[in-house]
Amino acid sequence: MNALPRLLLATALATCSVLMPAAVSAEDLIVGFTLDADTLDPANHRKRETETVIRNIYDGLLTRDPDMRVVPEIAESMVQVSPTVYDFKIRSGIKFHDGTDMTAEDVKFSLDRVTVEGAMGDGQTSPRQGLMGPVASVEIVDGDTVRITLKEPWPILPAMLPNQQIVSKAFVEANGTAGMATMSNGTGPFKLGEWRKGDAIILQRFDDYYGGAPDIAPVGAACVDRVIFKIIPESASRVAALLAGDVHIINELPTFSIAQVKANAGTDVMTVNGTRSFFLAMNMQGEVFDDLKVRQAAAHAIDKDLIIDRILDGTAARIEGILSPDAFGSSELPAVSYDPEKAKALLAEAGYPDGISITMDTEGAFKDTAEAIASMLTNAGIRTTVAIGESAQLTEKWRTAGKPKSGDMYFSSWGNGSLDPFDIFTPTHKTNDRGNSAGYANPALDKLLDDAAVEMDTGKRAEMYREAELMINADQPYVYLWVPQDIYGVSKKLSGWKPSADSRINLHDACIN
Amino acid sequence: MSLSRLLERLLQLIPVLLGVSAIAFLMMALTPGDPVQIMIGDQSITPEQEAELRRGLGLDRPLLERFFIFLGNALQFDFGTSFYHRRPVSDVIAERLPATIELSLVALIVALVTAIPLGVLAAIRKNSILDRLATVGSLLGVSLPGFWFGILLIMLFAVHLQILPVSGRIGYSSEVSTITGFLLFDTLLHGDLPAFGDALRHILLPAITLGLPMTAILMRVTRTSMLEVLRQDYVTFADAKGLPRRRVLFRHALKNALIPTVSVAAIETGSLLGGNMIVEAVFGWPGLGRLVVESIFLRNYPLVQAAVLLYAVTYVLLNFIADILYTVLNPRVKL
Repeated sequence: MNALPRLLLATALATCSVLMPAAVSAEDLIVGFTLDADTLDPANHRKRETETVIRNIYDGLLTRDPDMRVVPEIAESMVQVSPTVYDFKIRSGIKFHDGTDMTAEDVKFSLDRVTVEGAMGDGQTSPRQGLMGPVASVEIVDGDTVRITLKEPWPILPAMLPNQQIVSKAFVEANGTAGMATMSNGTGPFKLGEWRKGDAIILQRFDDYYGGAPDIAPVGAACVDRVIFKIIPESASRVAALLAGDVHIINELPTFSIAQVKANAGTDVMTVNGTRSFFLAMNMQGEVFDDLKVRQAAAHAIDKDLIIDRILDGTAARIEGILSPDAFGSSELPAVSYDPEKAKALLAEAGYPDGISITMDTEGAFKDTAEAIASMLTNAGIRTTVAIGESAQLTEKWRTAGKPKSGDMYFSSWGNGSLDPFDIFTPTHKTNDRGNSAGYANPALDKLLDDAAVEMDTGKRAEMYREAELMINADQPYVYLWVPQDIYGVSKKLSGWKPSADSRINLHDACIN
Repeated sequence: MSLSRLLERLLQLIPVLLGVSAIAFLMMALTPGDPVQIMIGDQSITPEQEAELRRGLGLDRPLLERFFIFLGNALQFDFGTSFYHRRPVSDVIAERLPATIELSLVALIVALVTAIPLGVLAAIRKNSILDRLATVGSLLGVSLPGFWFGILLIMLFAVHLQILPVSGRIGYSSEVSTITGFLLFDTLLHGDLPAFGDALRHILLPAITLGLPMTAILMRVTRTSMLEVLRQDYVTFADAKGLPRRRVLFRHALKNALIPTVSVAAIETGSLLGGNMIVEAVFGWPGLGRLVVESIFLRNYPLVQAAVLLYAVTYVLLNFIADILYTVLNPRVKL
């Protein structure tokens, strides 16, 4: 044997041994996740995915259980003293990851950091200020009670508080805003191990965890030693990673992969009702959709059930108003039937016996559904062309906050993480509000929405939103379509974990068998 | 090449970079889509809170003022703060850059070591089955979209055969402290062979996917130029002298035949950076390409501007290197 083949053989052998997969430690729970966190500072971010990661490291005053009920977490109890004053008694014995005790002082500091102008550090204002509404002040009233005072009644404060996490005053003062972006010191079930930017966030169990919300069993330290958010943006690759056993949970499972994941022996699909309402906004300031009959024709033209069944694989709930069936104030509403003949008749009554031609704007991600809707509309005499645009550009075109719009129809959606109507009804339906893509203007509804926003009697408030739903159901500024479920692919080795409709992937209770 | 000529070429970079900065800034600023509206998303917010958010991002100032602030800061290598990461853009980019460079280099190596031998073989055995296979292969290589080919590799090697990982840069049992940021290199420096193997397993599929179109192009270039050189008189003369065929091919012909290959490779390396955006998304590779794409959609102006500038500098430098290589390999050409 001469030298060259021998060298080649040796290299090949060495490569083989080097390429053998390394052993994986048994206790790691790996989540295949769409996006990396932008920062780990609870006061200084603006993205849902970032919040998902942060909420495994930091806890808030309140949180939500898997059924989306708001329950105490760091707070032991919440008392509403008056329409504008809320008292939170802080649980004792909670430790930060660095071993120091968490106090009411830290709670006040954390909330001030978000709500007070210029208080985040370096004279900056938190980009999350808007999420806390009209907070006037945060005070410590006795040793362990924190009082939030509002400038005006804002019934959704408890629903919005789970989105704010408690930080350590001393830690922030020592490390500054810049340090908070990449370091962490929370009270949550996991502490930061290593952040490989763009690749993975490795979290380790915090053994001194106080246990989390008493209303969400089990209470205690986390089940697994480590959890890893592994960033895989491409959905096909995320599915492949789940099928290959590389990860245990994946988010945003595409509907067309559901069957494949179910058919695979080691994996399954889990769903939870989402919070995002899909609709067709019809430009009421335009030439055709200013007529109620034309809008009603569009509503009768669409077979929602067929699209939910065939394109969305049954993973959506149909709606007749803007609110999700799970939202506060949602109620049974008159259903608009699928009736293309009636649609044609309505068009003829409106003066369009030969039908109309329109363009429907939507984002690339929804092209398939948009094409199906367009063909149904066309079938009923509303000849529809689908125009795909980029989200940022469509936002500018359709969310004009009252300024004139140029399009005909916009297939879009609005998220409602708080599941409170205030967050979705007002922006999409109040005159000139920023999400009112239909250009709908109804002074009676505006007044009703304003009153409902500050109504403290929950029964009365729910009734007001039902009245509002009936108004828009009759005026049909939008064709209300459906609320899709959030779909996760999971490994069958996983137990104790349930998906949740808010931004949280709560890994505290998850175990790997 | 003389030193003054080299300096002159370097000085030419300055107007190019100024131009690119202006274009990068204006392209972002004039593209429809308001960063503040995108950031607020589906949320109720008061006009005062919106104005405060706009002020915090520095977007309340007029366009021209913002441009001069950007330019002035960029001259001091300060590219601003990323709207979303809330840290200096240069830090965010520096974290991601080594992964992108490492992947590009490995893809380049994959391309070179497969393309050159195949191209030479195809030329020597012109019209043979091997030549035809190589021709068809290279056509496929250029035509197959990376996102599709990448997924195909993942399905075969990661899901069905389960011998390579789907995504990422290194497993989580390996812990490598950063020296250069290039994991293949760092693991070797630490003498950690298992970690090196782990990193190698992770980079294989993305590098092959990224390198495939380049392999195809380089193979075609090498084949064509080899065929041309083989027709030259000096090769016929060398054959006539009775030199061994191997010596004629590798000592006499190949050296000249590789001149176009090398310069095409240098220029194509620039396009590896572009191809990275897709390959990085498919393989969850934590590089710069993915970050830039995300940032464009979010209208994260400072990050996109800095990244475009970086891409431009790299491209210009690679062209510059290609020119120099050309003169080194072919002394008849002067810059």
